[in-house]
Amino acid sequence: MKTSKYLSYIVLSTFVLALVSCEPDPLKSEDVFITEAQVAEITADGKVYDLNEFLDTFMTEEGTYHNDTTPYRERSYDATHGLYLYSVDTLPQAGPGIYIRGRICTDDYAGNFYKAMVIQQIVNGEQQTLRISVDLGSSGGMYHMGQEILVRCNGLAVGRYANQPQLCVPSYNNNIYAMNASQKVGWCPGRINSSEFRRATRMIGTPDPDKLQYDELTLAELYAQVPQKPTTDAAGMDKVRKADGRLVRIKGVHFTGEFDNNGTLAKCDTLHPDSSSNANVFAPTTSNIGYPQSRLISDGSKSIMCSSSEYAKFAYYYLPGADRHGVTECANWEGTVTGILGWYLDKASDLASNKLDGYEWSVTPRGIPGIGIEDVKMYYQGDTDRPWKPEEFNPNDYQ
Amino acid sequence: MRNKLFSLMAVLMVAVCAVAQTSLKGRVIDESSQEPVVGAKVTLANQNISTTTNAAGEFTLLYLEATDEEVIIEAEGYMAGLELINLKENQLNQMDAIRLQQNIVTQAQDEILLNLTEEEMSDDEGRSQQQASSSSASTDVFNANTSFAWSTARYRNRGYQSYAESYYIEGLNFTSQERGQFNYSAMGGLNDASRYKEVLNPLEATNFSFGGLGQSTNYLMGASRYAQGWKVGAAGTNRNYKARINATYASGVLPNGWAFIGQLAYRFSPYVDNKGIIGEGIKYYSLGYFFSAEKIWDNARLKLITFGAPTERGQNAAVTQEVYDLTGSNNYNPYWGYQNGKVRNSRIVKSYDPSLIAAYEHKFNEKHWLKVAAGYHYSMYSNSALTFYNAPDPRPDYYRNLPSFLWDGQIANPNNENSAGQLFDDNGNHYPWGLFIGEDMKGTNLGSGFIGADGNLVGPSVDQTQYDALVQLWQSRDNKTTQIDWDNIYAANLANNYTDPNGSARYMLERRHNDLQELMASVNYVNTAFDHLKMTVGAELKYSQGIHYKTIDDLLGGNQWIDIDAFADRDIKELATNSGFTQEDISNVRKNEIADDYNNVIKADGRHFGYDYRINMQKANIWFQNEWTFNEVDLYYAIAFNYSSMQRTTNMLNGRAWYLTKVAEERTGADAWKYYGHTAYNQIKALEAAGKLKAGSTYVGDIHTFLDPAFKLGANYKINGRNHLKLNALAETRAPFARDAYISQRVHDRVVDNIYTHDKAKSLVDFYAASERVVSADLTYEFNYPIVRGRVTGFFTQSWNGTELNGYYDDEARTFVNQAMTGIDKRYMGIEAALAVKMGTYFTLTGVTSIGDYRYTSDATAIQSAENGMPMTQNLATQELVFETMDKVLLKGLKLSTGPQLNASLKLSFFHPKMWFADVTVSYHDWNYLSVAPSRRMQGLYTGRRLDGTSVNGWFGDSYANAIQTTDNTPLDVTFDADGNPTYNNAVLDENGVPVLKYPYNIMTMQESLAATNPLNRFLIDASVGKLIYLPNRQSVSINLSVTNLTNNTHFKTGGYQQARLPRAVRQGEKDYRNSVITANAWKYPSKYYYAWGANFFLTVTYKF
Repeated sequence: MKTSKYLSYIVLSTFVLALVSCEPDPLKSEDVFITEAQVAEITADGKVYDLNEFLDTFMTEEGTYHNDTTPYRERSYDATHGLYLYSVDTLPQAGPGIYIRGRICTDDYAGNFYKAMVIQQIVNGEQQTLRISVDLGSSGGMYHMGQEILVRCNGLAVGRYANQPQLCVPSYNNNIYAMNASQKVGWCPGRINSSEFRRATRMIGTPDPDKLQYDELTLAELYAQVPQKPTTDAAGMDKVRKADGRLVRIKGVHFTGEFDNNGTLAKCDTLHPDSSSNANVFAPTTSNIGYPQSRLISDGSKSIMCSSSEYAKFAYYYLPGADRHGVTECANWEGTVTGILGWYLDKASDLASNKLDGYEWSVTPRGIPGIGIEDVKMYYQGDTDRPWKPEEFNPNDYQ
Repeated sequence: MRNKLFSLMAVLMVAVCAVAQTSLKGRVIDESSQEPVVGAKVTLANQNISTTTNAAGEFTLLYLEATDEEVIIEAEGYMAGLELINLKENQLNQMDAIRLQQNIVTQAQDEILLNLTEEEMSDDEGRSQQQASSSSASTDVFNANTSFAWSTARYRNRGYQSYAESYYIEGLNFTSQERGQFNYSAMGGLNDASRYKEVLNPLEATNFSFGGLGQSTNYLMGASRYAQGWKVGAAGTNRNYKARINATYASGVLPNGWAFIGQLAYRFSPYVDNKGIIGEGIKYYSLGYFFSAEKIWDNARLKLITFGAPTERGQNAAVTQEVYDLTGSNNYNPYWGYQNGKVRNSRIVKSYDPSLIAAYEHKFNEKHWLKVAAGYHYSMYSNSALTFYNAPDPRPDYYRNLPSFLWDGQIANPNNENSAGQLFDDNGNHYPWGLFIGEDMKGTNLGSGFIGADGNLVGPSVDQTQYDALVQLWQSRDNKTTQIDWDNIYAANLANNYTDPNGSARYMLERRHNDLQELMASVNYVNTAFDHLKMTVGAELKYSQGIHYKTIDDLLGGNQWIDIDAFADRDIKELATNSGFTQEDISNVRKNEIADDYNNVIKADGRHFGYDYRINMQKANIWFQNEWTFNEVDLYYAIAFNYSSMQRTTNMLNGRAWYLTKVAEERTGADAWKYYGHTAYNQIKALEAAGKLKAGSTYVGDIHTFLDPAFKLGANYKINGRNHLKLNALAETRAPFARDAYISQRVHDRVVDNIYTHDKAKSLVDFYAASERVVSADLTYEFNYPIVRGRVTGFFTQSWNGTELNGYYDDEARTFVNQAMTGIDKRYMGIEAALAVKMGTYFTLTGVTSIGDYRYTSDATAIQSAENGMPMTQNLATQELVFETMDKVLLKGLKLSTGPQLNASLKLSFFHPKMWFADVTVSYHDWNYLSVAPSRRMQGLYTGRRLDGTSVNGWFGDSYANAIQTTDNTPLDVTFDADGNPTYNNAVLDENGVPVLKYPYNIMTMQESLAATNPLNRFLIDASVGKLIYLPNRQSVSINLSVTNLTNNTHFKTGGYQQARLPRAVRQGEKDYRNSVITANAWKYPSKYYYAWGANFFLTVTYKF
């Protein structure tokens, strides 16, 4: 009987003790964001490069793969200048650490940047920027706008995609289903695998979008700083590289009601954005192909493309000053467009002919989660009491 | 006084009668405890007469032939006993107490089996391993030697799905009405609660229910069955839990007629922080209790029973071949990761099934008795899952995170698929379809890439270094690569708190609740008043309610969760356009509760979100059975009528249901009610018009009722006492389970179309439009000699008009799609055989085999619809959007994926009278097949046109894929009849009339065999050894060690499924509504597999006192 009693006690107490099953303690900010002291500690094995310095050091014009016997991107090569518009330079895996740091100034989820981010670094009061191509859907959900990151670049690559510098990995484009596929097949910058990127990246402090710097300027001022035509000279290329990715506020502009190549947008009561790329909204459908849609903004003398994705939250919003009735009022709305400045030169023929085809410079409005296109601030003929209010395309307007 | 006198005379008369004819009386007791063994089956081998022992362990057999006889005694958990007796004519032959020895091996095996099946319970996604048939019965040589031995291979009796089997406890039906499964977790670790059971073979006459197509099991938990005393035990294992302790006390039958038993069992394992071993990343805590009280009167008994087992355990997942190869382990588990250096599993099951049963038996006299039972069962079952919104997919084995994603071709030597250049794993298994680690992916080696139909190259997408680096991370089991990155997840949420403090957390752990409450009753009356005839009449009543909702388990550092549907939110622009509304007009569509007062903000406070609905089910069943017993033949038949109903109610007014109703109203309006049901539709419309829609209101859907008859009969021809020939047959209709009836039960009330046909039926054909029809028969030859016993059974079952529901992400529609398949016909046929041979005093050699052919015998008709309300396609001729497509699923000829169809094993058992037990079993399993994704077998993929006439964008025969083999090497030529059925004019067809696809497209649709390429890896070896030590004062200690998969065969696939997605690429330069082409990358969404555990053991020590 005594034995039974003792056994019962033992069994019961074991139950109670072993019932305690718990998960690890919740994490706090200090557990996941690193401090400047930790940055110093982590980067002690190498060097933290400024973004421009990083490109100057590691990106060549030809890239690691330019002499490869593989098919190269036919349309990318300019024989006259011996230049590839697409290039990839691999960075050494071993050796001293190669680090860069910058603050993310884009948001990819429905925010106009698909599987890419741009980081900004302020050096001597000026912006330096770099695009990073990452195979992370909705990367903005993990790497928020305003988040400063530290990236160990060893084993990654840097290259040009349509002449646009970016941190990447070597990728072989084999999309045989693409239009003009044979011209596109070949090596180019590709997206960094998600786990590789997560392993390479640390988040410095908590995100602070207010620390992002904007360059506020007119179109005239912008074009004074950057080439207005394809260029191959070192100075011109340097300007292109330094301008690409900058966060800008272009003031004193209006939407012209034209799309790329100066075509005129149609009224939304005659063309439906689901079926026509010429409908009068930011980004009508591309039938899920996904290339950006461009809308021209102008200061009256010069113009630039305002580029948006059909996946942007504001894709089906009427352009400022426009509605289903047409585009004639566009010029009455003037203001500021905020976005990322982009350079895109993907055809060697453009380079050879020394002629812009209307696609090179663009500004990609940032989509802010929950805010949408608020960064486009326009007013009716300067009347600040009548700000532009985003209005969504109404299918009932379509006749 | 007169009564007493009358009683005395009656007793004397019975005694005289008994004496006047040949009879046998005896008592069966436990060798160790000397306690009576209740429910033991006592059979006279030569005369084939049997009975069972009563509560005192006694038995009596009357009207016997005077002859030499073998008395066989079989009881659950005991070694079978054999006694010889010479029956004297016209005498009451009295036997000495028959002592049965406990079989500690089968007791331990039963426990292991119970745990195995418990762990395989499917989650709310319905994706789980095939459950092994778990019921064992010591009296049937086939079942006794297959249920445990073949459980590792997930063998299922006759290839039936689990719903074919019926599970009862004390005569109450415990099989879920919603899913057709028995919830083993209710009895987790309670080896005593589940010890005694009646198990009846398919189609045989039963005495507790009508029975059914498969085995019928009735657990018996009356306290009087258990011998008086304490029993404490401990177990150690390397399975998902590591240790178990348990204690049982049984009072035996007390002088006042009461008997009690109580058991507590605790199983546990802390998180396993060791990669590559069984149970990696899993924790396990379970406390089981079982209490039973029984009062015995002269002619009656009352049982009160309760049990339950609160359990918390981690889960693991099926993985692709690539992941298996990369990690080099069949134990890799993608569900866990490190949080601040500590293991955490994202999938934690919490289950608790408190059950309460009251059962009463009354014996009016020797010829009339009645059993009545009532019970209540509440099954709390939930599992957690990591979910995310506007953030990267956190699953480490998500296809984009694997090395294969970097290698579009994934082929080593595709142009020569039979060449020696193909790769083999370390076991010699051959990969005929796709490789991940192969050729150099730099350009110079592109010559070995796959040349597509258009002459273009399908090759690598990154360079060799990048690919190798990722491979190396997988092979080294890098934490950030191969496991969930909890730290990064927290970082994403904490950062979000700064940038969007009022926004939704990017990640969180949600808990998906799938509770079930059941109230049930049964009555069972037996009459043996007529000679040779036993009549049984039974009735069952059951009310079940499936309760489904979600709560937040952990916000993982986030401030709150905004409860909106991600797919609807993503596609709201298109949804708006399709309906002619603006986004603002249909902002409700993304809400899961459109009248939400909380603006859809959810905290981790237990509030329901996502969905909150119930499925109310009622079942009433009456059945009767007549059994005749004659000297040469036994006959029986049974008839049942089953009434069942189902009704969905929801506490949330889902935005997609609201949207689809709007769209339907915009069109014809005729079907708009379907998304709510008639009453709820009118109610909602009225409230909406009055602006009074209120969150938390309950909306009651339509009731769907079914009446299904069932009939079975059987004959047992006794060639002689030792040789029997049995024939059984069954015909029944079966209403669909609720899980298959509702197309999207989380969202709306819409059921599969044939239920609507049934609901408004005016003819018998329409009335049974939704019911599955089944006929089945088996023929058994059974023999029983002192040295040899066994049986051979042939069986054949055909079912028609089955219903199944699937859900998957459809790359053509670019959204999550629900697919309701109807008209599914299946056939099960095969042979079961078992032979047990006694080899001297100590050894028994047993051979068993099951050879089957289980397959689909028809194609199915399927309706596809998007869960978020997106149109599935567009009629290019009329420009009309199509919200539901109908097509044929080409299933005919495919094998059912219900476990191996060829099984054989040889078992050598050893028993020494000094109570040593040992056995070793060698099993061979083959003909096991992958579960094919119906979405890859749609007729439209072969013809470009669905059954409903809509066009498919991106199909096998189009000019991009050109994947269909034709007799003249020209493009496919196909014509259609008026019903949309195709005629292939030049396609090469397989034996089922399906066009044959060219390599590598054929990989996408073929049904893969799961059998290991190396035949040696199709074998599994199990062994066990045990010792029972008798101690003074009726005490004993038993020790048993059972080792499963002794040779550590880690290449044994137990099951798997084909992923539903097809590799597609956007086709450029077109302006169709959808633009895609099926690419040659047949390996983009590879199949996922379950593997058997490697060598694992279960050691138990039990002390009885």
